[in-house]
Amino acid sequence: MTATSPTQAPSTAETVINNIKGTEEPEVADKGAETETETDADEFEDNGIIDHTTFDQLLEMDDEEDHEFSRSLVWNYFEQAEKTFVDMDDAMEKLDFPDLSRLGHFLKGSSAALGLTKVKESCEKLQHYGNRKDAAGVESITNDEAETLIRALLVQMRREYNEAESYLKVFYDGQE
Amino acid sequence: MLCSLIRKMCTTSTTSLLQDTSSLQKTTSTYFNKAINNMTASPILSTISPPSSPAMSIESDFEDHDETTTTQPRKIKVMIIDDNSVNLTILSRLLNKHFADTIQLTSVQNSGLAALDQLTKDEVDLILMDIDMPVLSGVETTTAIRNNDSHSEHSILEQNLNVPIIAVTTSDAEEQRELYRQVGMADCVSKPIAIPKLRMAIEEAMKTVSTNG
Repeated sequence: MTATSPTQAPSTAETVINNIKGTEEPEVADKGAETETETDADEFEDNGIIDHTTFDQLLEMDDEEDHEFSRSLVWNYFEQAEKTFVDMDDAMEKLDFPDLSRLGHFLKGSSAALGLTKVKESCEKLQHYGNRKDAAGVESITNDEAETLIRALLVQMRREYNEAESYLKVFYDGQE
Repeated sequence: MLCSLIRKMCTTSTTSLLQDTSSLQKTTSTYFNKAINNMTASPILSTISPPSSPAMSIESDFEDHDETTTTQPRKIKVMIIDDNSVNLTILSRLLNKHFADTIQLTSVQNSGLAALDQLTKDEVDLILMDIDMPVLSGVETTTAIRNNDSHSEHSILEQNLNVPIIAVTTSDAEEQRELYRQVGMADCVSKPIAIPKLRMAIEEAMKTVSTNG
């Protein structure tokens, strides 16, 4: 993902730590400059990143204590999400609103299935904005309004995804 | 019936039969002949103990019961359809983990077209279908099934034309649910899937099948 990508987001670890501390996060940062964080996965719970009812149901489907099934599923989700973000960037450059809506819906499904609440909610907004509707999917909005809202939303969604990704990686690292 | 069978095998027709109700299932009973000590054990036990025994199969409903017995209801053959691989994996696993006693996952399809093609070849008892899919949506796929339009040169198997179809989707607003009903879907289960709700939807859908014959 390029530095000018609309879905570029601050460093994952820095953002998460700053959110927990309540400090302002940097507007632009290189995603590649991630640093090791010792933040425990439990510290993320109050941020509403994960719906534990859904995620725990997923963990219950694991056979062994190594959580191999859910781990492989989550990593599959990571790949899917990264590809979808690239597709969203492409669709945004073309202002292809129907495609943005479709992509939002697509990622919403798997995000919801894993209990990634914030990502799912942002995906739902993207679905609506792409259909030239407001966040609730009720009132119509103009193309210009949709474009403005989607550009901001893609940055937000990327940030929320990075938080979720960090949480899950910390969780599974702790299971080893 | 089992008692009659046992009595026929007993040397005395007045032998009392004891019912062992300590088995796993509430409906499961194991009947032991009180006079068993007076008889050779193996002929009786060979009749009543193995899970595949016809005598046992009539009354029993053990968890580890052999599926091939004539009285054990066969498992529901299920097809699942979703264009998202993560969702497909989760639903497959969920069915295998939580519904293994009643469901046999026989078909996993990632598109409406692939599902239609499969329905021209194999019979299923139940379809769990995503709604928002490219090319053919879940609504369009359902309509095609009901209208025997396989989008190919082959016809959908007659047994599949009225198969119960449950929508599994995040698009679960009331007006959407009404649309699903109108095109012939039996129910709608929201994502993320709550197992009790899925179970209830499946049970209701299958009741409709048995009611309609």
